[in-house]
Amino acid sequence: MQNNFIVSTSPHIHTKESTSKIMWLVVLSLIPAGIAGIWIFGKSALWVIILGISAAVITEGVLQLLTKRKLTIFDGSAILTGLLLAYNLPPKVPFWLPIAGSFFAIAIGKQIFGGLGQNIFNPALVGRVFLMASWPKYMTAFTKPFDAITQATPLAALREGKILENISYLDLFLGKRGGCIGEVCILALLLGAAFLLIRGYISWHIPVTYIATTGIFVYVFAGKALFSGDWLFHILSGGLILGAFFMATDYVTSPLTRKGQIIFGIGCGILTAVIRLWGGYPEGVSYAILMMNAATPIIDRYTKNRVYGTR
Amino acid sequence: MKKYFAEFTKGIIKENPTFVLALGLCPTLAVSVSLINGIGMGIAATFVLLGSNIIISLIKNFIPDRIRIPCFIVVIATFVTIAEMTMKAYSPVLDRALGIYVPLIVVNCIVLGRAEAFAQKSSVLNSLLDGLGMGVGFTLALLLISGIREFLGAGKLLGHGIFKGFEPVFVLGMPSGALLVIGLLLGFFNLLKNRKT
Amino acid sequence: MNPAQLLTIFISAVFIYNVILSRFLGLCSFIAISKETKPALAMSLSVMFVTTMASIITWAIYRFLLIPFGLTYLRTISFILVIATFVQLVEMVIRKISPPMYRFFGIYLPLITVNCAVLGVAVLNSDMFFVKGKAVPGSFIYSLFQGICVGLGYTLAMLLMSGIRERLDLCDVPQAVKEFPLAFIIASIMSLSFMGFNGFRF
Repeated sequence: MQNNFIVSTSPHIHTKESTSKIMWLVVLSLIPAGIAGIWIFGKSALWVIILGISAAVITEGVLQLLTKRKLTIFDGSAILTGLLLAYNLPPKVPFWLPIAGSFFAIAIGKQIFGGLGQNIFNPALVGRVFLMASWPKYMTAFTKPFDAITQATPLAALREGKILENISYLDLFLGKRGGCIGEVCILALLLGAAFLLIRGYISWHIPVTYIATTGIFVYVFAGKALFSGDWLFHILSGGLILGAFFMATDYVTSPLTRKGQIIFGIGCGILTAVIRLWGGYPEGVSYAILMMNAATPIIDRYTKNRVYGTR
Repeated sequence: MKKYFAEFTKGIIKENPTFVLALGLCPTLAVSVSLINGIGMGIAATFVLLGSNIIISLIKNFIPDRIRIPCFIVVIATFVTIAEMTMKAYSPVLDRALGIYVPLIVVNCIVLGRAEAFAQKSSVLNSLLDGLGMGVGFTLALLLISGIREFLGAGKLLGHGIFKGFEPVFVLGMPSGALLVIGLLLGFFNLLKNRKT
Repeated sequence: MNPAQLLTIFISAVFIYNVILSRFLGLCSFIAISKETKPALAMSLSVMFVTTMASIITWAIYRFLLIPFGLTYLRTISFILVIATFVQLVEMVIRKISPPMYRFFGIYLPLITVNCAVLGVAVLNSDMFFVKGKAVPGSFIYSLFQGICVGLGYTLAMLLMSGIRERLDLCDVPQAVKEFPLAFIIASIMSLSFMGFNGFRF
């Protein structure tokens, strides 16, 4: 019987068009968080976002023109990278910082590997750690919400042993705390994430295992005695929600199979918790995700689906 | 004559120890933070390379193959000690700047690498040229890398500040930045090479 | 002998202060041999064997020869000679077992001798587990274990890098950065990520 249907196991190759559509939808789902960030931190946040996105798009365009490769600046991925990088920055950074970060993110984090689909590391995070290593004093100066006074983030304050007065879980949830532009308003982030999850553009495996692992680890080890850690505080603080739903889930840099994704999520969770609790930095999300990005090719290799018919 | 010249120049470009052979990376990463350190290390390493290549080539027929590696190490260590003592006597400032990296020339892959790959099977003259070429190549690589790292990563050159208001790119002063600089330089050289052909 | 110390050694050597990605020792073979996973693992195994054996013998030399006779300034050179002998041994074995692998490694096998990782762990052991010229209780087990763990850390870095490079082999990478340049850049980004472990304190 002639076989008119092609049946194969996933993963399937996506066409360029649908990749682009997904990129734009992720950008869309991130807009609430950006609006919240601008409302909480003021006009300078808007500038950081604009500069971040423009620098990313221009860098990609120029590099692709110079290397005579196809222009992909309209597929939404450069814009997404610029946006995510901006969301990972404090609101009052000098104008050249998001430009340098986006340039590095696109040039070294993405284009040097050959462009979209071939990068190993999440470009926005590559940009962020580059900025963190190069200009730490700008990357760690945060401001009080609705104000221009500098104030430590909740995680940084916890590290020093002081708890910020009058911060409730509701404050953390709504974003009334110092931090990076796109990470503070959990409500807005969850709205966007819910949209992506419901429409099936991201799956729950990575974010849920990531957040749960961090929460459990923190519950066990963060408190003065075992099993007394403030897991809700940790989940609502720092860049965990932003990272788990929007950066760890990046198709290109995370494993293909469900099993691999769960391993990825657990790895990210443990690394984030370990750095937060015992490392030198108060926040470990960027580093954790990048380390697991590096492990993704090996994870994929050892969790490959068995091709039907072979051993 | 041309052949001898080629033996010398191969270490500078075609088989540059840092960029092409990926040798001597650990000291390169650590030392290339400033230009003066790069120069000092380059000269010291060249001296050791020259000495060890020549001696090993001279005694190559007397070293049993089974224990050749320890024998090479003894020769290399001798020259490193000479270099270290000379540096301590004539330039204590440089010696202090380079610190433990002078004795660590003993474990600089380039020196043992050339002894193993070349000097033990070549004539004394060729080994001399090879050692000199590799040393010069290594020094040039160090100059290039440390020049960039000091200029952009610390805003200085040979210890002198360049412009005001320049926010140095700190990551370039770290090993990660060094790896980045080496990778980008190498890519740039490849680009030039591909254009030529 | 403290089992918690063993756990600390394991986590530090393999992850927090990874010999390649945080201490930047052993880079030459890391860049050169990490293109494919099989040779990478073979090299890692060889390095782990050498680090383990070197840890044992250098410990003994330090404890019974250098310290009692006041010759600790000869530490570097005596350690290197021990390591050189072991690498010679490993080379003979590999030559016999697998000539193609031996040819593939080329210069990088004898270069394990000067692989900073090996000398590094020997020196680290003598710094960490000897206080004021006296061996800390259990220092032999700690040194041996650290030797093994540094080898494991080396293996981890090689495994990650070879996985990445094998995947990139299938991609359309710009011509100018194929092979070594991209390897350096990947190493740069990997070490940037491992900076997350800076300032670690249990």
